[in-house]
Amino acid sequence: MTEPILSITIRSLYISALASFGAFIVATLISLHISRSKKYIDMLSPIFEALVGVPTTVIGLFVYVLLCPSGPLSFLKLLYTPYAIMFGEFLVALPIAVTYMVRHFYSARESVRELVLSLGSSDEKIITMLVLRELAPVLISSYLVAFSRAIGELGVALIVGGGIEGYTNVLTTAIALQTSMGNYEYAIWIGLVLISITMIIVLIVKLLGEYVIWK
Amino acid sequence: MEIALKGIWHSYDNQTHVLKSINLEFKEPGIYAILGPNGAGKTTLLKVASLILRPSQGFVLINGSNFWELHREGREEIRKRVAYVHDKPILLRGSVRDNISIGMRIRGEVDESLIDYYVKRYSLLEVQRKSVHRLSAGQAKAVSIIRALVLKPQVLALDEPFAFLDEVRARILVEDLVNITNDGGMILIATHYMYKELASEVNYVIELLKGEVKNITRMR
Repeated sequence: MTEPILSITIRSLYISALASFGAFIVATLISLHISRSKKYIDMLSPIFEALVGVPTTVIGLFVYVLLCPSGPLSFLKLLYTPYAIMFGEFLVALPIAVTYMVRHFYSARESVRELVLSLGSSDEKIITMLVLRELAPVLISSYLVAFSRAIGELGVALIVGGGIEGYTNVLTTAIALQTSMGNYEYAIWIGLVLISITMIIVLIVKLLGEYVIWK
Repeated sequence: MEIALKGIWHSYDNQTHVLKSINLEFKEPGIYAILGPNGAGKTTLLKVASLILRPSQGFVLINGSNFWELHREGREEIRKRVAYVHDKPILLRGSVRDNISIGMRIRGEVDESLIDYYVKRYSLLEVQRKSVHRLSAGQAKAVSIIRALVLKPQVLALDEPFAFLDEVRARILVEDLVNITNDGGMILIATHYMYKELASEVNYVIELLKGEVKNITRMR
């Protein structure tokens, strides 16, 4: 029996939404910290940029080693659950979110700091609040970029999720599964859903980019 | 408030000194114009005197106390009395009014009627609700000047304040600066040319060349 596309889509959306939300929060904290110093940026940015290029199968393998019965986190019993995919997708989305945010954070922090000092204060809390306010559209865009990366990955979902129908089967694993079974038409439909979601996200990011320029 | 700069040297790259052995005192209320060509160190000197930039060497004395050796609370208390206007306005996302009120919001006291007064005075009524990214260069400059004026600073430092301003706004600005000095305030202006309306109101002209004070002239 084949699982309806709608239920696969909903599962994909909530797993990727939560994973990328976690990545977004951690990336914001990392970016806020790194952007305090040009030295940190020059030192750490290339590392995150390099991590963006790590194949998701390698990240999947890494998460598998952690969660497998002989792994250090086996007691959590997360392997082949949606939570394992979330954890893996979190790791997939984190570097791209940091890379996207950090340059914006640095330039915004420099300007805001200079402005706040010129108005008679040097309060770091005020500077951080103003930077976050200034970069609100960038933050939303970076979340969507992270989400787009998470929902489109296959390696993690297949290795630590297993593509179990009705439980861990997401859009990408469903395409792989249906193709291997010869159900090309069904696989294409799922592919179209995935492409539509990605395109909507790209459109939103583009519109937000224009909003940043003109607002 | 008295500002004294003693033996100030500053370098951004530890190689070239932008300021060299500066000794200056800003004691009396009035307008001090720092005059010099591009690259003379005017902006750096203004930032050091406005407590924005810590110099590489030397002391910045505020009423006799070494500012950069004070504890954080002490520095913040003094900084509240100083405002600085950049040559290129730094405007944040939001409306004209949002930007004008930033300094007031930082201090927790927003005086809407004072904002209304300056918005009208500098002819920004029509654009006050608009995004700052839609302003002309002159309007943006006016916004950054008003943002400092509404804080009623004892010391107001302005870097090239007349750049981009039209004649009307420039004349209004000179009036406002004179009003501040009449109330006992101090105005520090860095500029590469002496704006004609300002010339008759300046108390001291400090000529700066290649990071060194070449001449100090009392005008009034």
